Amino acid sequence: MIIAAALCPWPPLLVRELTGADPVAADLREACGAAVRALLAAHPDVITVVGPATASAVWPAEGRLNIAAFGGRAAPPTGPAVPPSVGLGCYLLDQAGYAGPRRLLTVSQDEPPAACRQLGEEIAAAAARTGLLVMADGSARRGPRAPGHFDARAAAFDAEVERAVRAADLQALAAIDPALARELMATGRPAWQVLAGATRPAALRADVLYSGDPFGVMYLVAFFGRQLADMG
Amino acid sequence: MGDPSSDQPGDPSHQPAEPQTLRLGKHTFEPRQRVIMAIVNRTPDSFYDRGATWHEAAAMDRVHAVIAEGADIVDIGGVAAAPGATVDIAEEIRRTVPFVAAVRDAYPDLVISADTWRHEVAREVCAAGADLINDTWGGWDRRLAEVAAEHGAGLVCAHAGNQTPRTRPFRVAYDDVLADVLRRTLAQASRAVEIGVDPARILIDPAHDFGKNTWHSLEVTRRLDEMVITGWPVLVSLSNKDFIGETLAAPPEGRLTGTLAATAICAWQGARVFRVHQVHQTREVLTMVSAIRGEVPPARAVRALG
Repeated sequence: MIIAAALCPWPPLLVRELTGADPVAADLREACGAAVRALLAAHPDVITVVGPATASAVWPAEGRLNIAAFGGRAAPPTGPAVPPSVGLGCYLLDQAGYAGPRRLLTVSQDEPPAACRQLGEEIAAAAARTGLLVMADGSARRGPRAPGHFDARAAAFDAEVERAVRAADLQALAAIDPALARELMATGRPAWQVLAGATRPAALRADVLYSGDPFGVMYLVAFFGRQLADMG
Repeated sequence: MGDPSSDQPGDPSHQPAEPQTLRLGKHTFEPRQRVIMAIVNRTPDSFYDRGATWHEAAAMDRVHAVIAEGADIVDIGGVAAAPGATVDIAEEIRRTVPFVAAVRDAYPDLVISADTWRHEVAREVCAAGADLINDTWGGWDRRLAEVAAEHGAGLVCAHAGNQTPRTRPFRVAYDDVLADVLRRTLAQASRAVEIGVDPARILIDPAHDFGKNTWHSLEVTRRLDEMVITGWPVLVSLSNKDFIGETLAAPPEGRLTGTLAATAICAWQGARVFRVHQVHQTREVLTMVSAIRGEVPPARAVRALG
């Protein structure tokens, strides 16, 4: 079962050295760190990282983010390169000092909601005490400077996702329309729906640690647990 | 519309063994000549000039001015690269074709380039007198090369990653950005030759900022010689772009120094065509590079020679 879950976006700029001299979005980076530390503090037997990608797949547990793919002169990854959503999840786990067992899964942007829910159920059933790290972003069409420019529907879409997360009403996430999410460049849709499938209604309470769109993409950082763990 | 991701590596037999004479319109440019392409936007919303040449009289004034400053080519575009208000084919034609015809009337020998990704627009501007199609979006419309072949026009084969025209890159990643640039641009150049575009009229362009973050654009600049050694003439479009703005934390109006620094680095490595806003300053930089390389003499040298 899922004993705790963390929700983080995966902009590559979570990697501090990719933003150059300016520690851009330090508050976002800190919130993601806090969410992951809270996940570790729940003492899961295994942490499963789930993020969207072009295909659904299981990746080697020693997989890591290839930072150099985003430029700069980063060292090559210590393990096989994995898709960036899951890779950023691994990066956050490493930053938090996690050395325990991990499972790495990607879920396709084309995966229908029912398949996402089923994947979530399988993740929950795979171990007695699973911590879930969900890498997911809201719409990338929140303004004229956003990656996907402006779509007037994005604000309401993201607001509903945030409402569902704050209320730990994760079943509402299962109802998100994949077609609308795709139009709004809300790449987190399949990962949110895995989260919905993995957790039982009202089993967890939510703490939202960050909500904002400094670069036109909706970022939401949250921790789901029986109680907010030590955030130190 | 094609899927640029399906590009296969170019047939090496189409690649020039060494730098060749570049032919554009009625002009020829030898490998050591450094050629300036001046940007003339027929748009109300381009990032740098913000509509300064939206009206035809202002645009024609700019053509006169850039020629006086030493531009070899004018590059006329009707659609901003950034996302914004839709510009359909008819509107793009309305913005560019009469103007290309007017510039051709005024300057019968000038090399005129058309900045478009649409073959329907390219066909009309070539009929109106354009000599070169500047396809910044990397072969999105596969028929563009056919139009170049039909009209005896040149073609710029650019790298836009896998971006749809007028979209911004979003978390783009490359195992090796220069390898992807070479794969896509050489495939387009090869295909253009097969379709019948004159190989002497084909250029390749890494397209800084297109499908790239700032790190990627800096790396492409640093490794530009890997494009030059293919033998194809390399065009660079650096002018006041975001990778310069991010490097220097400078707004668009504060990027000229950075642009000129990048221009010098690309020229030193062998880039041959420079697409720019500031013609005069670019010409001075290119003349300095040519003189430092020993390819042109100083304009006047008497120091310690008297």
